[in-house]
Amino acid sequence: MDSQQKDPRRDGPDPFRFPKWTNAIRLPVTLAAALAPLFILGLLYLLFSPGATSVGYQPAQPVPYSHQLHAGLLGIDCRYCHTGVETGAAATLPPTSVCMNCHATVRAQSEKLQLVRESFATGMPIPWVRVHDLPDFVYFDHSAHVRRGVGCESCHGRIDKMEVVRQFAGLNMAWCLECHRDPVPHLRPEDAVTVMGYVPDEPQIELGRRLRDARHITPKTDCSTCHR
Amino acid sequence: MSSMNQNGLDHNYWRSLQELSDEPEFRRFLEGEFPEPAEVPTDAMSRRRFLQVMGASVAMASLVGCRWPQETIVPFASRPEGVTPGTARRYATVMELAGAVSPLLVTSFDGRPIKVEGNPDHPLSQGACDLFAQAGLLELYDPDRSRHVLEREGGRPRRRSLGDGEAAAAAAFTALRARRGAGLAVLSEASSSPTFAALRGRLRDELPEAAWYEYEPVSRDNERLATGLAFGEARRVRVDPGAARVLACFDADLLLDHPTALRNARGFANGRRAEDGEMNRLYVVESDLSLTGGMADHRVAMPSLEIPRALYGLAAELVLGRGLSLPPGYESVLPALEHVRAAGHAPAWMGAMAGDLLAHRGESLVAVGPRQPDHVHVLAILLNEVLGNTGRTVTYGPDDQRGLSHGAAIATLAVTMGKGQVQSLVILGGNPVHDAPADLDFGGLLDRVAESWHLSLFVDETSQHCRWHLPRAHWLESWHDVRDHDGRYAVAQPLIAPLYDGWTPAELLSLLLDGVRRPAHDLVRATADREPGAGDWEALLHRGFAAALPVEKAAALDGRGVVAAVRRGGMAKPAEVGRENLELVFVRDPSLHDGRFANNAWLQELPDFMTKLVWDNAALFGVSTAAALDVAHGDVVELQLGERRLEAAVYVLPGHAPWSVSLSLGHGRTAAGGVGNGTGFRAYALRNSSALDAAAGLKVVRTGRSHRLATTQDHHAIDAVGMREREKRSRSLVVSGTLAEYREHPDFAAHRTHHPPLVSLWKERPREGFAWGMTIDLSTCIGCNACVVACQAENNIPVVGKDQVAKGRELHWLRLDRYFQGDPDAPAVAHQPVACVHCELAPCEQVCPVNATMHNEDGLNVMAYNRCVGTRYCSNNCPYKVRRFNWFNFNSDIPDVRKLVYNPEVTLRSRGVMEKCTYCVQRIETVKIDAKNEGRPVRDGEVVTACQQTCPTQAIVFGDLNDPQSRVTKLTTGDRAYHLLAELNVKPRTAFLARLRNPNPELAESADGHPAH
Amino acid sequence: MGTLLTRDTIDNTAHDPTRPQELITGGYDFTSLTDKVCGIVERRGAPRAWWVALGFSSTLAVTMFAMIGYLIFNGVGVWGLNNPVGWGWDIVNFVFWVGIGHAGTLISAILYLLRQQWRTSINRFAEAMTIFAVICAAIFPGIHVGRVWVVWWLFPLPNYQAMWPNFRSPLLWDVFAVGTYATVSLLFWYTGMVPDLATLRDRAVTRTRKIAYGFFALGWRGSNRHWHRYEKAYLILAGLATPLVLSVHSVVSFDFATSQVPGWHTTIFPPYFVAGAIFSGFAMVMTCLIPAREWYGLKSIVTLYHLETMAKIILATGTMVGYAYATEFFIAWYGGNPAEQFAFINRAFGPYAWAYWIMVSCNVISPQLFWFKKIRTSPVALLIICIFVNIGMWFERFVITVISLSRDYLPSAWGYYRPTPVDMLTFAGSFGLFFTLVLLFMRYLPMIAMAEVKTVMPQKHWESKVSRPVGDYHGTNPGDR
Repeated sequence: MDSQQKDPRRDGPDPFRFPKWTNAIRLPVTLAAALAPLFILGLLYLLFSPGATSVGYQPAQPVPYSHQLHAGLLGIDCRYCHTGVETGAAATLPPTSVCMNCHATVRAQSEKLQLVRESFATGMPIPWVRVHDLPDFVYFDHSAHVRRGVGCESCHGRIDKMEVVRQFAGLNMAWCLECHRDPVPHLRPEDAVTVMGYVPDEPQIELGRRLRDARHITPKTDCSTCHR
Repeated sequence: MSSMNQNGLDHNYWRSLQELSDEPEFRRFLEGEFPEPAEVPTDAMSRRRFLQVMGASVAMASLVGCRWPQETIVPFASRPEGVTPGTARRYATVMELAGAVSPLLVTSFDGRPIKVEGNPDHPLSQGACDLFAQAGLLELYDPDRSRHVLEREGGRPRRRSLGDGEAAAAAAFTALRARRGAGLAVLSEASSSPTFAALRGRLRDELPEAAWYEYEPVSRDNERLATGLAFGEARRVRVDPGAARVLACFDADLLLDHPTALRNARGFANGRRAEDGEMNRLYVVESDLSLTGGMADHRVAMPSLEIPRALYGLAAELVLGRGLSLPPGYESVLPALEHVRAAGHAPAWMGAMAGDLLAHRGESLVAVGPRQPDHVHVLAILLNEVLGNTGRTVTYGPDDQRGLSHGAAIATLAVTMGKGQVQSLVILGGNPVHDAPADLDFGGLLDRVAESWHLSLFVDETSQHCRWHLPRAHWLESWHDVRDHDGRYAVAQPLIAPLYDGWTPAELLSLLLDGVRRPAHDLVRATADREPGAGDWEALLHRGFAAALPVEKAAALDGRGVVAAVRRGGMAKPAEVGRENLELVFVRDPSLHDGRFANNAWLQELPDFMTKLVWDNAALFGVSTAAALDVAHGDVVELQLGERRLEAAVYVLPGHAPWSVSLSLGHGRTAAGGVGNGTGFRAYALRNSSALDAAAGLKVVRTGRSHRLATTQDHHAIDAVGMREREKRSRSLVVSGTLAEYREHPDFAAHRTHHPPLVSLWKERPREGFAWGMTIDLSTCIGCNACVVACQAENNIPVVGKDQVAKGRELHWLRLDRYFQGDPDAPAVAHQPVACVHCELAPCEQVCPVNATMHNEDGLNVMAYNRCVGTRYCSNNCPYKVRRFNWFNFNSDIPDVRKLVYNPEVTLRSRGVMEKCTYCVQRIETVKIDAKNEGRPVRDGEVVTACQQTCPTQAIVFGDLNDPQSRVTKLTTGDRAYHLLAELNVKPRTAFLARLRNPNPELAESADGHPAH
Repeated sequence: MGTLLTRDTIDNTAHDPTRPQELITGGYDFTSLTDKVCGIVERRGAPRAWWVALGFSSTLAVTMFAMIGYLIFNGVGVWGLNNPVGWGWDIVNFVFWVGIGHAGTLISAILYLLRQQWRTSINRFAEAMTIFAVICAAIFPGIHVGRVWVVWWLFPLPNYQAMWPNFRSPLLWDVFAVGTYATVSLLFWYTGMVPDLATLRDRAVTRTRKIAYGFFALGWRGSNRHWHRYEKAYLILAGLATPLVLSVHSVVSFDFATSQVPGWHTTIFPPYFVAGAIFSGFAMVMTCLIPAREWYGLKSIVTLYHLETMAKIILATGTMVGYAYATEFFIAWYGGNPAEQFAFINRAFGPYAWAYWIMVSCNVISPQLFWFKKIRTSPVALLIICIFVNIGMWFERFVITVISLSRDYLPSAWGYYRPTPVDMLTFAGSFGLFFTLVLLFMRYLPMIAMAEVKTVMPQKHWESKVSRPVGDYHGTNPGDR
């Protein structure tokens, strides 16, 4: 073949080449490209973590009811209002009449109790805003847990320190499984279930182990334990 | 107005509770699959308010952040004693259908009835429950139910408030009372209610001029007339198949179409369990293939019109052939019998049957169905008498029903209306415009009645021809009382206050008589207090029925009546049905009854127990008849009966009588509602008052068009290859044998399928704790479908509609497989309920890529809907094909009120997820938690699955296979047990008990339709 | 370019043991070859035919995406699936496309290791086709699930349910098998293309082309070092790809083989599927290549000899497939499992018999015509038969998937599957997508691996005699070796 003939295609303008400085950034660029997916995954993981989405959820309630006051200062037992907690799936909220047991006389004229009095008078319920809201495909039974000696605190936190109730735990599946796989850290004597800030007089590990073995507590991790 | 705003608190609150109840947010209620168990007042008055409140309460305020819509919890203002919100409560009540009674126990969850079951204490149900009562739930929440009074002016309906309606009616009724009821006619449904009877009595006395008619399109009046002839007064024929060793049914469907069907089935089944002693034998002579026919040891298919011949032939055989002696005074029937014997031949079965009956005097039963004319019933009464069965397997109790037969009643009414003698017509329930005999043209006559009131659940065909339509209270909403077939008194209490303020018929009557509408509660209470043996009101309600049976005076046979009737029948010219003279039989629809349940989606989509048809009825032809007439499955033919014409689709049903065509009543509604309109073909169009049950002279003309019939089995016309294989396989799937075989080799079932030794591919999980298992007894499963509806109600199984079913996408977790074996014209029928069998080595679990279906510790094969991505691989790999896929979101656009039927214990499945039978895991979990909380072990029989609970024959047993003492263990290890597709070694937890038949040795061929081996 | 297929003028199929097989005819030298191949990419404005084809296929592709949108919006019910037939055209198409995706890597990798020089003219095209087929295939498993939005649960990713996927499930193996295969094929294709991209870069006149090709040419200079590493990398990738060729379709076949549906549950599947895949793959290469070589005048580069060789492979694999069909029947009979026996009787004589016999006639009978050289060497005949083979292979997957499911153990649960328009349009659309990609490839990338072709040209051996052309360092200059 004759190499002398001119052909703009072959002897044309200089072809593109990577400029010198690109040599310097080769390594970082490669690394970045390699790590980008991991980074994005991690970001999403954190972004959608229950910690980011659920914990700390604190809706305003129609009645400015203070757990800090009632459960904390006055030390009223949880079960005084949440009567279903030992017998049924739902802990149940107290009927207005329960409020009125005291508030018929205590602070009977308080502004804040306006809605309560109205409810009691008209028979229309108070629309409390739900804080701990599990997905509809999850079937949680309070009695099953409370009767095994899992403290309220384990899932609801220091209610006695909350002016307005706040979501304490993520309530996601991994969180549930954590305890279902090893309940020891959360087991208490039955009389201490509703105690806030309970401190066992022996190491929790030993106490938990003892209670677990004594009561044959073997939490299930089957699908059907929570999903039906 | 409250001062909350000034409180400077957050401002999404309602300004006051009054406003909240007005807010139109009912719609949003329940948009979340299940709101927090709302706490509900149980006293009837406040239940409706609860709905409004709940509606308003679930204010779905949208929220920043990744959370689902905000929910609110509405506790009681003051909670009634002993109520724990979020827990189910059960109440006893009863349902009445055309005078027949189903005693019930209804589960109510936070004020909404969600499940209907049989009352276990009541002898008639013993816990079992029929379709209609169970599906009544859906009827209660039917969004198409009428909610207003309608007044028709110039044909155009105008809404009226209930108040106005009541006022108008009251005014009109006052006028009527002034006229002592002149020109008034009342048309009611059949009812066994003493309260109702009392009111009717008062009407007779206080408004002597008024006329009372009672009409049921499907009734047992022939029986009533017959007893009238035989005893001189109407009597209720009470049968006890449980006490019978030999049953001869002539067109009688004792196991399904009978006031005491549930008890009959239980009794019959008890006589079928060979291991518990002797086994009864069932002969059935019938035209269409009924449920009872399917269970028969010997079934003879012959046209309904020829069945009288058969019974007379049998009588002749017994008396003349076998020398059964007639009591004195009855000799004069002999000429009739001789005449019959001279005319007709005596086929083999007749001799065998006669022999059997003679051999079992006093423990046999001759039963005749409601479609047969009175004299046939009389002959049956006579035969039972001479066979010594009276008082043992059959008794005759008093019948409060008086007067004309329903057929005659409606005809008479039509005549009087035609003469213009009816100015005011009060129609209490019923739907005569749709279901009255076609020749009466009831609709036309009704238009000419000046003032007509129709009290009904729906604005139906009849309402459209009445001046006034009044909304009726559903039976779950109303106080009512009944007297069951045994004469037992029972009270129905409402489970929920009337959703739309409907009235009960009794209330309307009281308005007519007293000028004020007295609440049904008071009316019933008054009767109950008068009723002897009703006992304490509270106790009565708690129990659901009165313990004591009323004393009855025994029935004495009136010889002359009997003889006259039998002679008349015997001498009558026999009907000759044949190619030139086809017969058309009107059958009560097993799902829709007379059509009143047409708008009930559960029942519409319930596969017919024989044809497996849904959303349709069809003209049933026998195989050879269809061939002879050259019509095929799905063809549209024109049925011509005299002047009347009807186009209907053909369904070729093996075992259907030759030259006989049967068509079920109830379909082809035009004003049933969104669900029921336009399904199937309106059989009433062919039904004349002269022939209400079966008519001769049918002509079948082919139209050349075809109609798509949707069935849940044999989705497509099956080819020869498949047909052969199906026949072959069915014998190893539904293992059946004769009693003789069983006595010889009790373990024959295990040896029906042969396969190499089974080696497990997997490490098998040890059986610890519970090992739930189930047995289904094919000897006693009659295929009545009760379990299917129970499952649907319990597990929130959606209805998918005809098109989807036709595509093969039905969602029923439990299906009843039906197989025909042997001669297509006289096949053996086998039913086999198949749901998930919970394999221990479940093929579905291996292949699910996301672990959405797994084993739990109890060995259940559980399904986590919320994990399922919907690859459908599990379903492909399931040898039983019991997994069901949500091809679309079948729970979307469900009207709110309809959502109240959902069982809160079971997740609603969304689009794109697989679902299947869970062994009612929600029931298991509840029992386990309760037991644990009470610190006791779970008792055998404490966990009851929905299907098992409602099974009339107790064919289904559920329990713990690790407990050697449990019933299920005993049965699974028993000799009749076998596992479906055992050769696959998937180790199913559900075992079947082989079907036993008890053919008469005299008749060579075994019941299987093939020589016994 | 003629749109009608014309008889080839040069026939290099004659076998002459005395001379090395002439792979490139028409007296090309390195330069003219470069000009020829690059010319296709460099010409201003694509031929009208190309635009028409692109318009048509891209419309189809768009239709498919519309259908997918419709599907995701409404649910899988818009397809004809039912119970028992839970997998229909979705999986059929998936397996079909994965199968097509076999030829490329096989040609590039295995034939490379086997020193099959004739591969050089076709491997670029075949590899490209592989990538596109795998893309089409990958769509279906993604959309066939009921809840597309959670399909990521099939990957072992961290999540707040603390759940792993089920590693026992063949579907999961699929995810990995197909994923790996796609990745390696893509790498392989790209690596092989680098020198040619460099050639295009150097010949590029417009700025965009300079930069585009330049970027992807990764600064290729054709230096000894480059060539050395390139060959190494290529060899390693070929080594990696070879097992994958066999593994990917074996794994796909496990979806069926590990289940217990009669007609699926059989150990013969892996080899049978791989053979079938190669079969269909080559058929598809031919289907695309024959018109391409015609229109772009590449007959002297993709010569009759190439076509004939591929035809021979098709004949071989086609016969294997036929053998597999026969074996299935034999085993079903010999195995004595009634369900299995019925499954096959039902295939041949049941309601779906038509599908079965289409499959047999297309896959087993039609390739047998390749015994005749006349047919082997007639592009028209080749094209037609190859299209039949494609049809047949699609039906093979239909037969396996649908017929087996429609009638398994319990007669009460038997069903019949009818596709809906959505099924059909989605399937047609996948072809649209495939051809769109092929057309774009032909327009913008060198469809002949110039560098590799040059290594099999006679000139390679004259290197010592011929003076090195000045300034021609693009393509392979033997002097560099």
